[in-house]
Amino acid sequence: MKKHKRNVKQTISKIILRIIMILFTIVFLFPLVWNLISSFKTNTEYLSNPYSLPSALHFDNYIAAMEKANMASYFGNSVYVVILATILLLLFSVPIAYVLARYKFKGSKLILTVYMGCIFLQATYIMIPLFLQLQAINALNNLNAISLVYAVMQFPFTIFTLHGFISALPSEYEEAARIDGANHFTILTRVVVPLCKPGISTVTMLAAMGFWNEYPLALVLLTDESKKTLPIGLANLYEVQKFATDWGALFAGLIIVLIPTMIIYLVGQKYLLQGIGAGGLKG
Amino acid sequence: MTKKPKLFIAICTLPALLLTIIFMLVPMCNAIYLSFTNSTALSSNSKFVFLDNYKYMFGDKLFILAFQNTLKLMAAVPIITLFFSLIFAFVLTQSKLREKSFYRLVFFFPSIISLTVVGIVWSFVFNPTKGILNHLLEILNLSSLQRAWLGDAKTALWCIAVALIWQAIGYYMVMHVAAIDGISNEVYEAAAIDGASSFAKFFRITIPMLKNTIGITYVLSLSGTINLSFTLSNVMTAGGPNGASSVLLQYMYTQGMRNANYGYAMAIAMFTLFIAIILAVISRKVTGNKE
Repeated sequence: MKKHKRNVKQTISKIILRIIMILFTIVFLFPLVWNLISSFKTNTEYLSNPYSLPSALHFDNYIAAMEKANMASYFGNSVYVVILATILLLLFSVPIAYVLARYKFKGSKLILTVYMGCIFLQATYIMIPLFLQLQAINALNNLNAISLVYAVMQFPFTIFTLHGFISALPSEYEEAARIDGANHFTILTRVVVPLCKPGISTVTMLAAMGFWNEYPLALVLLTDESKKTLPIGLANLYEVQKFATDWGALFAGLIIVLIPTMIIYLVGQKYLLQGIGAGGLKG
Repeated sequence: MTKKPKLFIAICTLPALLLTIIFMLVPMCNAIYLSFTNSTALSSNSKFVFLDNYKYMFGDKLFILAFQNTLKLMAAVPIITLFFSLIFAFVLTQSKLREKSFYRLVFFFPSIISLTVVGIVWSFVFNPTKGILNHLLEILNLSSLQRAWLGDAKTALWCIAVALIWQAIGYYMVMHVAAIDGISNEVYEAAAIDGASSFAKFFRITIPMLKNTIGITYVLSLSGTINLSFTLSNVMTAGGPNGASSVLLQYMYTQGMRNANYGYAMAIAMFTLFIAIILAVISRKVTGNKE
């Protein structure tokens, strides 16, 4: 009897908990879902009732976003910057993280300390000096330059995380390769990098997401319409259309930004969540 | 071990170090230097004015307003964010709901999407004519509460706070889940045998045992609030109306990029960075970390 009562109580509290969690799910999802639905509606449909379902899947908004609102060009720029910045990041940070983890030399401790301190230095604080610096060497509105800056901004977290990851690896494989006569570069590229794959995947994913979403630096370093990346282009489109009521292209634009994020999220959830444990993404 | 491969070490470290110096340390030193000058886009020969910018700051009403707004956000956002994220983390780890991983997937998602998107999507929620919030109030027969949320000096800042909290909860939830997983399950089982309720478990076990983690996440959330409020304020309201929702870094941007007062803008940036560092140090002391 007593046990039965307890079961009933448990079931009820479980149901209440579930209702609360579902309510929060709605809070988290509704703005995004509403946005998605609106992106498929014609303007008249939207204006007559912003909460109805679209009569049919209209892709006109997406076409308008791509062609008239320049989203195709922003998208291309964003993809270019993300890929280049990620490659540069790995190219520079993997070797230094490896050397710092495996060799003790003069200054190696200092380098690590400096990078650790720099993790808290957000790009926003130094965006104006960076702007002046790139202006002086004529590198504003240059996608290659901003990619390099992005990569460097991500150095502290990436180097620090990879350093921790490599330090935890056993060094026997490297010793064995050395005895077999492999040189340092071969060991790095053929032995260490494959062993580091999980760590590298995590930092790559976090970095790529950060580059895709980056706003403050792109805002000051890319002012030319043809060089803008998606976050800046979208913010501009929102500025322009705030007072008009033709929001179709904007809704579509928002979804266009979200699609790659969503794909990476669903595919690489595991690595991403691991990275958060290490304090990545944004702060 | 054989002799240190000096050449190899140099090739691996020097390029990264050089780039770090050029694009991080030099701009940082420049920022400090500029904050002591009256440099603008027009003045070709900027003068060293020492603390003038910092003195001017505290007589500048718009700066004071941005500072107050930032403090309000720092007082409200981290606490609310951590409160919800802890509860969700507790539910995700301790409850027997079968769809737990679904909640984790959904709650975490806002924290990985672009802040520009977050800002714009929430602007639609708060839109006066077509917005979700005003529509909801109408359905609930509370039309008297409707207003132009982002255009109203009383509410604009809090709209930004809501967007900040909404996008941050999932991120800290994941961090707290990782920490709770580190607490031995036996502790919870022992408590369950003693008949402890979920509330008791949350307040008597989870919170005290996560004290260190919460200290860290609180500092992260403070510095996150200072930094991320820039993008949201810039996208959602551009600091308006009349500076009612401006925050420190947004005001720095306005002074630096719109008015081209580089010296003054950098003084604001350094002041903000100083606040962030001081707060981090104090919070670490208060939470009694000895690490």
